[in-house]
Amino acid sequence: MIMINYLVNRMDFQMASFITSGLLVIIGLYGVFFVDNVLKKIIALEILGSGVNLALIAIGYNGGTIPIKLPGVSVEVFAKESAYPLTHALVLTNIVIEASMLAVMLGVSIILYKKYKTLRSSVILKED
Amino acid sequence: MNYLPMMIVFPLIMAIIMNLLHGKEKAVKYITFITAAILIILPFISQYGYYYFGGHGVVNGWVSGIAYLYNPAKQAIIVTLSLIASLVLITGMGEKLKNNMFVTLSLMGFASIAAIVLADDIFNLYVFFEIVSIVQAGLVFLSGTEEAYKAGLRYMIMGNVAAALMLLGIAFLLASTGTLNITDMKHYLLVDNPMIYGGLLLLIVGLAYGAGLPPFHNVKADLYARSKGFISAMLQTYSKFVLVGLMIIILKLFNGLDYFASAHAVLIALGVLAMVFGVVMALLQSDYKKLLAYHAISQGGYVATGLALGTPLGIVAGIFHAINHVIYKSALFLGAYIVSCKRGSNLHKLGGLLPLMPSVAFMVLCAKLAISGIPPFNGFQSKWMLAQAAMQVNMPEIAIIMIIVSIGTFVSMMKAFYLIYLKPVDEETLKEYQNKEVPKLAVFSLFVLTALCIIIGLYPDIVTNYLWDYAKELGVNYYLK
Repeated sequence: MIMINYLVNRMDFQMASFITSGLLVIIGLYGVFFVDNVLKKIIALEILGSGVNLALIAIGYNGGTIPIKLPGVSVEVFAKESAYPLTHALVLTNIVIEASMLAVMLGVSIILYKKYKTLRSSVILKED
Repeated sequence: MNYLPMMIVFPLIMAIIMNLLHGKEKAVKYITFITAAILIILPFISQYGYYYFGGHGVVNGWVSGIAYLYNPAKQAIIVTLSLIASLVLITGMGEKLKNNMFVTLSLMGFASIAAIVLADDIFNLYVFFEIVSIVQAGLVFLSGTEEAYKAGLRYMIMGNVAAALMLLGIAFLLASTGTLNITDMKHYLLVDNPMIYGGLLLLIVGLAYGAGLPPFHNVKADLYARSKGFISAMLQTYSKFVLVGLMIIILKLFNGLDYFASAHAVLIALGVLAMVFGVVMALLQSDYKKLLAYHAISQGGYVATGLALGTPLGIVAGIFHAINHVIYKSALFLGAYIVSCKRGSNLHKLGGLLPLMPSVAFMVLCAKLAISGIPPFNGFQSKWMLAQAAMQVNMPEIAIIMIIVSIGTFVSMMKAFYLIYLKPVDEETLKEYQNKEVPKLAVFSLFVLTALCIIIGLYPDIVTNYLWDYAKELGVNYYLK
């Protein structure tokens, strides 16, 4: 109980996000390389991508102030206290790209499934 | 008016237009020829220097917004890219199916590679790196074969992994420096920070994937091998220039810094491994396109090694070899395309084509000698320069490996030439050959590329004069330390 209390007090939102991000990346990599199912591999890729996105959001985190400048707020205060929006831009871009990649991969998976009648990647992705 | 952004904007717009012209084959063909011509002109009418998108620029000493940098070295690269792209587009117009999708994807690919080469901010680099991954998979899908779908899917899965890791690396660099602009970022890299170093290594993962270096060499080679021959010509051009573009950025940011030394070694090792793996795998192949694909991997290793040396001579040699390689390798893939229109690409089922198309055989032989590094072809010039660069930094073992790999290249190239053109075949097979048509546009493109192999081989200064200034800017004379 003491240890849990210690960890909770030590860990802020940003650090917790980084840890979660790391876990997601590891889970994603495990899924891509060790799971013998094309659909699950693709899901693992999404988990991997989400981990990276979370890392980016956490990097931009700065105490929770959203990066929208309101009237009356000085530029200096705004720059010092708001979250860094460049990381958000990267995440938005990455989400779009991931969605495109996902659509194409699923489409091709359907084509190959019709041919092989299985989703086992050791069959579908086997090199000739 | 500065036409620099048109190198990206124009092909993207034409790609969208082409996508709308489904089924209108004559319009597609006509507009494609015009577009191909304009692509060649654009690199010559663009201004050197920095270009800042969106009306942004340098604010309080820092760059705001997306930035491009254009200089003679990048011009040489993009001229080569636009030439190959135009020739492949022209060749593709001789095909019967899927013209508009082929043109759409090709133009998107061209825009992406041009953007990667021009990029002076990592954000834009990352976006177009992703786009070209999808484009390459899309181009291989155009073959319509089952193997093509498998190769493309494998490529996309590995691509997602590499891209995620690369983005993570970019995240680390952003966290450490606060900026994604390369010119600005450089100011913050002097500190030996493990996060920066981690970001660099993850960038190298993206580099290895984009260029087809180990451990991604099999996936990339399979991609080349499963495409139509003329599409393979363009795919390997894309990969070579992704390699150059990313290496330029890595060198610009890190070259000369103390902690770069071991990453430096990693890059050289990747290059050497690619050289060796590529040629060894090529020697084992019985499929001609697979053989050519692994040689593309091997030659990519030469480029990576040259650039990784990090000296001005190494950088010039690396970029020069990339330019030479895309020229003669495109010629070889076009030759393979012409052969496959006759008789597929299984080496053991080919033979006796010399009497049927002697001019094609001659041009392909020239390209094979070029890739083997034999004078007076362009491949000799850049390989010789690479060996000199390796000797200069006291790494003669790299020069020796380069020569041995060249010998291996020569052996497998001559073997393939014999099996395709010289091996005797029976009369019935010969008659069967004669009925197949030779794609004339492909022969035209092959002729242009072969002529370039000879011209650049005789007058290498045509290209290298453009490269030296930038190489001196990026390079560090390690051997003088």
